[in-house]
Amino acid sequence: MTDAILQIENLTKQYSGFLLDHVSFSIPKGSIMGLIGENGAGKSTTIKAALGLIKKEDGKVSFWGQELSMNENLREDIGVVFDGINFYETLTPAKVGSISNAAYKQWNSSLYSDYLRRFKLPADKEIKEFSKGMKTKLCIAAALSHNPKLLILDEATSGLDPVIRDDILDVFLEFVQDENHSILMSSHISSDLEKIADYITFIHQGKVLFCKSKDELRYRYGIIRCKTEVFHSIDPSEILACRKDDYQWNVLTADKESARRKYKNAVIDDASIDDILLLYVKGEQPK
Amino acid sequence: MKSLVLKDLYNISHNSKSMLFILLFFAVVFLPSSGIQGYVYTCALLCSMMIVTTFSFDERSNWTPYALVMPVSRNDLVASKYIVLFLFSSIGVLFGLIFGTIGGFIHRTMGIVPETLSEMPLSMAALTALAFSTVFGSISIPLTLKFGAEKGRILVFASVFIPVAICYIAYRLLAALGITMTDSLLAALLYASPAIALIWNYLMFKISCSIFSKKEF
Repeated sequence: MTDAILQIENLTKQYSGFLLDHVSFSIPKGSIMGLIGENGAGKSTTIKAALGLIKKEDGKVSFWGQELSMNENLREDIGVVFDGINFYETLTPAKVGSISNAAYKQWNSSLYSDYLRRFKLPADKEIKEFSKGMKTKLCIAAALSHNPKLLILDEATSGLDPVIRDDILDVFLEFVQDENHSILMSSHISSDLEKIADYITFIHQGKVLFCKSKDELRYRYGIIRCKTEVFHSIDPSEILACRKDDYQWNVLTADKESARRKYKNAVIDDASIDDILLLYVKGEQPK
Repeated sequence: MKSLVLKDLYNISHNSKSMLFILLFFAVVFLPSSGIQGYVYTCALLCSMMIVTTFSFDERSNWTPYALVMPVSRNDLVASKYIVLFLFSSIGVLFGLIFGTIGGFIHRTMGIVPETLSEMPLSMAALTALAFSTVFGSISIPLTLKFGAEKGRILVFASVFIPVAICYIAYRLLAALGITMTDSLLAALLYASPAIALIWNYLMFKISCSIFSKKEF
């Protein structure tokens, strides 16, 4: 990928019982990268290591070609939303605005006020009186109002109802209308990523299993559902992951059209991101 | 840096009413016995202890990881806590001076004459109170950074005992060397306390930076 806003190469972090193992991917300008994986797969660890919140053992993380530790000013161009609010509950959106205004040179107070109006957030109400959705919207408003070029969202939409999630996803889609903007979004909610992501990076047990465009996953990946005898006739090189149900085998393949031509006795379905995730996590992968 | 200080001031302003009540209660209880100077010391020390509360707010809101993605360095974050400590202590001293003077005046009109423990001028009492409170408060910062706000609350007592223990050991050492602590030497030390506090705070700041640089979030 050329013109990468964020480039992660061989990012490695060792904890007792967990290894983030040489994670690599990059986010091109004007795109949304979805980071998926089961709980504990290493999504948040990747984001934290990229942001310098934890120390990496190995690897390189560069934003616009520069390491964050070498140029603190890069942080002006990065907006971050974590899961849950990071402001104390007695603060108000107005005070959050004042704090952020003092932090960022690029802070745009009128843009922040616009977001507060758009999200229907009262400026002088204490955060403790806000719903989870309102808190998330406040974090997003704060993250977007210093005109970042890269938005990093770590499970930001988890625990929100579909209506609020849809509102928020629209904001993200607007954000990437500017071709210099990008988003890195980790989420459990694959439907959100299916709606907005351009690329999907799948992390499983600390390793990147794949980093592909969403369209490639949508249009090329498929699931072969077949009986055991058909399963044994499948070329192992075509099997990405497989799992046996009570009555059939489910086989993930990277070329569903080819599978449709070759295996007439099998049903070939489109694969959703959830299907891919489940088969990789719960199924077997050929050696 | 300004944003970090502002955040602590906003957060702590929520506790200002209860702090005001405590300080006024202490004015009623301590002013007749300890005089204005003693009250200034009490206010400064109590306000300086609020620094641990700011850490508690930070932990509860998971503020620190967020702060570290803002354009501030880790050292900025530590420095902001020392600035906030200085502000809290200064507010305590100022409060003690104003309400101590008012309280002293009220007591005198009621015929209660405060037992002034010190003949130190009020200005010097204010300066030394600021020095002592920042010395005590500054120890709680590395301790809280290392062990967290919950344990930090307990360890804040250590911030009282550490300087006391150091002074006691120094006193015993001087005694062993045959140097007796005269009133003039004691006064000189007291007057030198602001300079000692500056050095002490710088040392604590460096220790805090070292602890914080190793922390992961």
